[in-house]
Amino acid sequence: MHSNNDSIFTRWVTGILRNRKAITGVAIIFLFIFLAVFGPFIVQDPTAFLSTPLSPPSWEHLLGTNGQGQDVLAQTISGARQTLLVGFTTGIVVVLIGALIGGISGYYGGRIDDFLSLLINLFLVMPGLPLMVILASWLPPGPATLIGVLVLTGWAWNARVIRSQMMTFRNHDFVSAAIVSGERNIRIIVVEIMPRMLSLLASSFIGASIYAIGAQVGLEFLGLGDVSTITWGTNLYWASNDMALLTGSWWIFVPTGLSIAIVSFALTLINFGIDEVTNPRLIAERVWRKKISQETISNGITPVIKKNE
Amino acid sequence: MNNPIISIRNLCVNYITSGKPIEAVNDVSFDIQHGEIFGLVGESGSGKSTVVQAILRILPTPAVISGGKVIINNKDILSISNTEVLQYRWKQISIVMQSALNALNPVLTVREQIEDVLKEHNDLKGKSAADRTIELLSLVDIDVNRLDSYPHQLSGGMRQRVVIAIALALMPPLIIMDEPTTALDVIVEREILAKIIELRKELGFTILFITHDLNLLLEFADRLAIMKTGRLLELDRAQKIRRGGKHEYTQKLIRSLPSAAGTREKGLLPKPESLDLGEQPLLEVRNLSKSFSDSGIFYSSSSEVVKNVSFQVFPGEIIGLVGESGSGKSTIAKLITRLIRPNSGDIFLNGSNKKVSEARKVPLEYRKQVQMVFQDPFSSLNSIHTVYHHLARPLLRHRLVPEQKLSDYIIEMLETVGLRPGTTFAEKFPHEMSGGERQRVAIARALSLSPDLIIADEPTSMLDVSIRMEILEIFARMRIEKNLAIVFITHDLASARYLADRIIVLQHGSIVEQGVAEDLIQSPKKAYTKQLIKAASPGWLKSLSIINTKKARANHV
Repeated sequence: MHSNNDSIFTRWVTGILRNRKAITGVAIIFLFIFLAVFGPFIVQDPTAFLSTPLSPPSWEHLLGTNGQGQDVLAQTISGARQTLLVGFTTGIVVVLIGALIGGISGYYGGRIDDFLSLLINLFLVMPGLPLMVILASWLPPGPATLIGVLVLTGWAWNARVIRSQMMTFRNHDFVSAAIVSGERNIRIIVVEIMPRMLSLLASSFIGASIYAIGAQVGLEFLGLGDVSTITWGTNLYWASNDMALLTGSWWIFVPTGLSIAIVSFALTLINFGIDEVTNPRLIAERVWRKKISQETISNGITPVIKKNE
Repeated sequence: MNNPIISIRNLCVNYITSGKPIEAVNDVSFDIQHGEIFGLVGESGSGKSTVVQAILRILPTPAVISGGKVIINNKDILSISNTEVLQYRWKQISIVMQSALNALNPVLTVREQIEDVLKEHNDLKGKSAADRTIELLSLVDIDVNRLDSYPHQLSGGMRQRVVIAIALALMPPLIIMDEPTTALDVIVEREILAKIIELRKELGFTILFITHDLNLLLEFADRLAIMKTGRLLELDRAQKIRRGGKHEYTQKLIRSLPSAAGTREKGLLPKPESLDLGEQPLLEVRNLSKSFSDSGIFYSSSSEVVKNVSFQVFPGEIIGLVGESGSGKSTIAKLITRLIRPNSGDIFLNGSNKKVSEARKVPLEYRKQVQMVFQDPFSSLNSIHTVYHHLARPLLRHRLVPEQKLSDYIIEMLETVGLRPGTTFAEKFPHEMSGGERQRVAIARALSLSPDLIIADEPTSMLDVSIRMEILEIFARMRIEKNLAIVFITHDLASARYLADRIIVLQHGSIVEQGVAEDLIQSPKKAYTKQLIKAASPGWLKSLSIINTKKARANHV
């Protein structure tokens, strides 16, 4: 009988769609996902030796060829597939683990919190980069290893943030009210509290994805990934092996590097958008500055704008 | 009387949005005469604080002043340059803010904060600034050895005195007080107000006093203005308004003020004709104690919030649990609803021998029988769910109503608490309703399980004065209709008197006095209860000023 016309989710979606930053970010990400999914069927075989190595961009090879004579455009587009897959999967898993451990820790408090906080702190103080390098070189290379390593070194920070927010919500009256009415704890966490944390969960996911893409590319660049697959990280690894920089063959590494930068940029835009949608004050202030003339703005003194003057 | 210290003419304030600007203050005009106390009353959202902030031109960002004049010393503050604005702030007009803890800087001592103002505006240096600081503190009765204290080391009342001292620092002719006592307990509030009156006699400044508490202003102000939704509804002498006022809204406000003095007016809140409570108490609380401990590696501290409290509640009875902040009354509410566990003591429900307080997991049956209404309806409803969800969940959990009858039952519950038509309200989200409507939803949720006992923790203190009585009326009616027992927790003795059958007075976690409501009000036994009653009765100001004039005379001789 009740419609959800005005629920937080619809307000959210319409807010995001109307926000210029967010919609730009979303469009870029969707473009890259589209290319990653369907691109490899269109472009040439990225592993095939097609032309003279290190030939600059031409009509035949729009972005030139690399040291092995493979098409750079095909490599860049095919590389998006695994890179984005690993990046977003890691983002999702990190948020899920963070929500589970941080949520339980913050909601129940007491002994449970003591134990889980200890676990979180333990992972926070562990030096992430060396651990990542050691694990990645020790385990068999492949996407599963990468995801595992990235999740292991990345989950704790999100868990910590989610725990703090859970602790705040735990003390809200609506949670007490649900307890008094006999609601089960797990239902309170999932149905009452988690939707309220949507903006935090979403920006955690975005933050974790940016981190995962960066770290993943870094590991593969160091040769710690599976060098026989084609990803943005291995593209850069081969570019470095072929001494692309020394020979001045910029077309080998610029497309991949630029793609990584644009994806991170788009994700950051979405994050800004979420911020503005959930905190309307940011927009209100900008509108205010735009609508009144600059001379009347003075620090801490309310401007006077009379209609009849 | 034709020499206004400040005159406000057709003041308008807009909040700029991406769409049409929102009119927060609309065409407000009034004069304040030299030496008077001018009161500005209004509920939340009435624009009273906006008017004051416009006078000082300290409105928060999306706001602009869109019309009118504010004239002080023949100068329109709204048309002078920005540097001039800075000069008249504090020298001509100073302000005492609502929360003294926020108005004071936590990392500076009292001395540093007062001297800062003196140095900035008066070029007082070294010894003369120090002397003036001491002088100011003695004006507000604060011991000189408190000079080097930090704000957190002072009590709420003392902090407010320091803020007043800072406002007095440059001896401005006009001082604005924006809800200066709202965060304070009644007795402290009265002391501060008496001090303000005494200072005004001594120093002769004018006061613009802003509050939502009409009761207070009727005693305190010479003239007062009533605001609603950005407009000035009525402006008159306090005595005339006390007699009822002209505007319909004023009359409604005056009518809804319960008083702790005199005989109880009939018909304000219904009570049952005769009260037969029976032998068997519904709820028995025995020697309940609770302390909160805070311990870390290097420290550990524990404070006892509830000390050895025992009382009984009979079926169909309303108990008023009265106390100031820190008296442990909300902790008792949480203990009874089992949101927290007591350190010692027992809670018996329905005469059963089972000690509810001992069970680790609260039985579902107990959750059905004991319900709670919270203070803040903005936080007790989850903003992402509809009213329907809020009422349906408990009913589904306890399997009280078959699913096909659920929505009919919910609509009926909503209409019982005055939310008509129920079908419309069931689909609303909390943010689409007013504070009063939300609190009604919260009451409907508590009532929907047909509990035997409802704990109502300050259910009206966050609501506007004009709707408080309506909410209390629902409780009074439900008790008669459903033989419901209610523990009504409040800081306001007057409303407890009107709603409750018996009153329990709490202080520092223990029971001071308990008894039948009218007996306790008419003939209190303990000094603390007497103090509370005096503070909540009309004429409290006179009784306080008499003491002060006596003191002043004694000093003179």
